[in-house]
Order: sequence, then C-alpha cells, then structure tokens
Amino acid sequence: MFDWMDGYTRSLLVFAGINVIAAYSFYVPYKTGQVSLGQAGFMAVGAYSSAILTQKFGVPFGGALASGGLIAAVMGVAVGFPALRIKGVYLLLLTLGFSEMISVIALSWEYIGGAQGFRNISFNPWTLEYVAGIIVVLLVLFSRLERSSLGRAMDSVHQDETAAEVMGIDVVRIKLLSFGLGAAIAGLAGGLYAHHATYMDSTTFNVMLSVEILVFVVVGGGSTFWGPLFGAAVLNAIPEILRALRDWLELVPVEWTDFYPMNRAYDFLHDFLDFENAKRLIAYGVILIVMMIVRPDGLLTRDGLLRLRLPRWKTRYA
Amino acid sequence: MLLCRIGRRGGWGEVERGVPHHAREYGRRMIYQQLINGLMLGASYALIAIGYTLIFGVLNLLYFAHGEVFMVGAFAGLYLVIYGGANIYIAMLGAMVICALLGVLAVYVSVRPIPKDRPLAPLISTIGLTIVLQNLAVYILGGQQVAFPETITQSLYTIGPVTISSVQIFVLGVAVTLMVLLWLIIERTKVGRAIRTVAENHETAALLGVDVNRVVLLTFMIGSGIAGVAGVLDGIKNSGISPFMGLGAGIKGLIVMLLGGLGNVLGAMVAGLLLGLIEILSAAYIGTTERDFFSFAILILILLYRPTGLFGTRTTE
Repeated sequence: MFDWMDGYTRSLLVFAGINVIAAYSFYVPYKTGQVSLGQAGFMAVGAYSSAILTQKFGVPFGGALASGGLIAAVMGVAVGFPALRIKGVYLLLLTLGFSEMISVIALSWEYIGGAQGFRNISFNPWTLEYVAGIIVVLLVLFSRLERSSLGRAMDSVHQDETAAEVMGIDVVRIKLLSFGLGAAIAGLAGGLYAHHATYMDSTTFNVMLSVEILVFVVVGGGSTFWGPLFGAAVLNAIPEILRALRDWLELVPVEWTDFYPMNRAYDFLHDFLDFENAKRLIAYGVILIVMMIVRPDGLLTRDGLLRLRLPRWKTRYA
Repeated sequence: MLLCRIGRRGGWGEVERGVPHHAREYGRRMIYQQLINGLMLGASYALIAIGYTLIFGVLNLLYFAHGEVFMVGAFAGLYLVIYGGANIYIAMLGAMVICALLGVLAVYVSVRPIPKDRPLAPLISTIGLTIVLQNLAVYILGGQQVAFPETITQSLYTIGPVTISSVQIFVLGVAVTLMVLLWLIIERTKVGRAIRTVAENHETAALLGVDVNRVVLLTFMIGSGIAGVAGVLDGIKNSGISPFMGLGAGIKGLIVMLLGGLGNVLGAMVAGLLLGLIEILSAAYIGTTERDFFSFAILILILLYRPTGLFGTRTTE
C-alpha cells in the first residue's frame, strides 16, 4: 500500500504513527482525569511480550502484537486497580514508579537480554500498514465514543467524580476500563516499535518517553479526540520540516554567501535548522511552557472544533 | 573504573557509582561500612528531598525540575573549580547562588504566569523546564560524564571496624550542617515562620501580612540552593557528573519526599537517610540492579498504604 514511498519516509511515518498511537494510549485514561506517566512502561510490556512471543515461541507477528496488547491491558488493570484510591500527583508518581520498575526488570532479567538489550527481533515489513490501520480504527472508535454514553460517562468522571457517582455512573468500572484500554493501546504501540526497530533495551522505554507522550496530548489538546493525533503529528513534523528547509538552504549557490555578513548568517541558519535530538527536546520543553501559559487546554479544544462546524451539525451533536 | 565481582550472580561488572571501591572489597563482611555508605547516599537524597518538600509544602506543586537544578549545581561547582580556580567552599557557595537564581527563574517562567484554575498546568510547565534544562546541558556540555577534579586530599581513617575517607567525612559534615541550619531557619527565624504560615494556608498568611509571593520565591531559592550544594557534594563523592544525573536524582528525591510526608522537612531528612540505607544494603546483599527496584517498590507501597508518608504530613489534599 505504501510501497511508492522511499525507505526514509516510511520509517519516519512509522515512528510518527507509533507516537500517535502512544498519544492515544495517554488520552484514554486522561479522558477520565487520570494522568499517567507510565505509558512508556506499558509500551515496554507490550514490546517485550510480543517480542518474546515471536522470537522464543515462533508466534506470527499479528498474534504476538495482539497478545502483547492484551498482556499490557491486564497489567494496566492490575496497576489501575490500586490506582483507584489515589489521584493527581500521587497517581502520577505511582505510574512513574511502575514504569521504572518495568525498566529495572528489563535490565536485570537475562532471558530478555538484560543489560545487553533484546536483540534480533524479527523485522515486520508491514509495520506502516499496521500503524495506519490501527490509527484509523482508533479514530473511528473515539469518534463513536465521543457521543456514546460511555464517552459521556468518562467526561463526567473527569469533571467531577462525586457528581458522576451520584448520577449512577460506575466510576470504578469506567476508570479501570479506561486505564486498561490505554495500557492495551500502549502495548500495541510498543509491539509495533519492537518489530520495526528490531532492538530495544531497558532505556528504550524510559521516563522521558512517557513525558514526550504527555507532551503530545497536552500540546494537541486533551479535550477532543483529534488532539493527540494533531499534537503528535505536529511535533513529529517540525524537525522534518526544518530538515527540509536545511536541504533547500544547501541549494543556495556558494558565491551568494561567500562574503562576510552572509557567510555568518548562512552558517547560523544552517546550524539552527540542524535539529538533532537535544535541540528537538529543548524546543519541546519551551513549547510545553509556552503552551501552559498561552493555551493550557492545548491547540485543539472541543469548543474550538465546534466553532468550525456548520450550524446544523452543532444542534445535532453539541 | 575498577572491576570486581558484584551482585548475587557473581558476574563481572563495573562497580556501582557512589560506592567507594574499598567498601566494595570488604563489603560482604562489613555491615558498618555499608551503613556509612548508606548514610552518604541518604544525605544527598535528603538534601534534594528537602527542596521538593519545601516547595510542595508552600505551593502544593510537584516541582519536577528540581533534579535538574541539582545537576546544574554540580556543573556550576565543577566549572568554578576548573575555570575559576575556586576552592571547594567557594565552589559550593557559587553553586548555591547560581541554583538559587535558577529557582527564581523557575518561579518567573513556570509558576507565576501559569493560570491557577488548572491543577495540572504548573506541573506540566515544570516538566517542560526539566526537559529544557537537561537538554540544554547536553547541548552545551555534551552527553558524556565529566570527571570532577580532586579538591580534597584523599586520606583514610580507621575508627574501630570502619574505614572512612576524608571525602566521606567532608560530604557528611556539610550535609548535616546544612540540614541543621535549615532546621534552625525554618523553626527559629521570622522567615521560617512565614514559610510555615504560607504552607498552612495562602489566604490566611496574606491576611496576617505575609507577602505570599515573596515567600514562595524565597522557598524556591532556599530549596534550589540546597539542591545546588547537593549537586557539588555528589560530584565530589562520585568523582564524575553528567547532564543525565538530574532525572534519577530527582525521582529518588520524589520517593524520599513521599516517604517523609509531603511538606514535612524533618521527615524528608530522616526518610532520605533511610532510603540511602535501604538502597545500599539491598545493593550489597541482593544485587546492584535490583536496588532501584526496591526504591520504586517502596514508592508504590507508600502511595498505596501510607500516602501521608511515614511521619505524617502538614498539607493534605
């Protein structure tokens, strides 16, 4: 389906797509007001279990991916159950602790590579198709969820738990369900990552990855299901756009910039557009701070999107 | 780095950072030695956690960037020693001042301008600050570990069954002095009383004539300054620092803060020493890779069964 793209573009789209899926894994528990800094941990669970299944037991990729997601979901419910009692900062710390424990296990368990990392995971040539398919399924799912009773129940739990309980909503069930579903989606993202990168170790799924996932949703907007897609897409596109600009810059003839003020300006621009990892992350951090000051609800909000719609739709769906 | 057999499996590996090699050599036999090491580690955890808990007490905010302040402190000390030719006391003082200024910057960038009606917004903006500081350090200084120059002449003293080095005595001494000083400031001075009042209730404090904004600023300065000194001490102790040291230290500081009770300064001091002991003992008798597992297990158990910490907490949600 995507054979016409060159390898670089495909790989780029795969990683961006995995980030989108991971952003959705954060979005589901966030919809009920649970902020998790452990999504990288669930990704690790999915990644390692699916990689064990394909490498050690010869399970085909599709089955291993699904099982990885399932195992992550079970883990999510297991973490979500004690997490019911706590919220806010405490929940954040709990999920952070869980994620760190997973990475310690990955480091010390020799069966899955230990400190050497998990090597030679079979490469799945259809990752991009899988990623695209999962994103489409997620989008359909969330667009249905938005106006279903379950979705509205989730929103009400987010806004006021006690009021939701009084309205007859089973808060425990809703919160566990969303936590488990989020973990399952993270597990899928992890499984896809493992079979695309073919190598991972205990630092692959670290705290900074969880933070990055959080950044995607916060920047995109957590109040609408378009937010995670938008945030992850924009933040993954920025470095590539800058890279393209740099390639264009290199097309400028040398004699145009070969004298004093221009060569300095050229070098500065060239360095500025070279967006390697540290600079990209610095930009993320700055974006995060500015976003919190200027638009704490994210770039896309539900109200903002409703304003874009035709009046007739508004009366039907708002 | 010295190589020797460590861990339960007896594999060959690098010696754990932070544990002096002579302690490794006798480690199995000498529990006293391990206790000293645990106190050393615990002292730096306690110093980081004090800042966390002060800021949490005053602002009810999980100040995520605190670990990075610790890292900046370590590098400030390093560059003062290398390029400024400062002795270690001047370097610690310099790191303290630089980190205090960083604390002021943090307030103006990621606390004051953030809308108050969203509980998560200040947390996320301090996460942003964390990312910026860490990667700025990587960008400017490179991602490698940098050796910390020897500023204190190494000499070993044997007291009964325990061997203790001059560096260890220095680090413990500075840490304990700082903690006592801080305790006196909080309990005995007007500033300390203002901080405690603001921690109790912002509106009441304002009604009583306390300038809340100034107290918040001051708390950030004190907490960050202490973290800066802790960074320098960590550099001396481990003889090497890297831009990535902040994240791990910050997370350990969070665990200690929870263990001691949110907003409880004395609790943070005791809990820091406790976690240091637990980590060193589990590293010595169970395995070095498992030691972090224990700290996070403690974190989760505390969260589930005693969210107010071991010693209670002043501010509750």
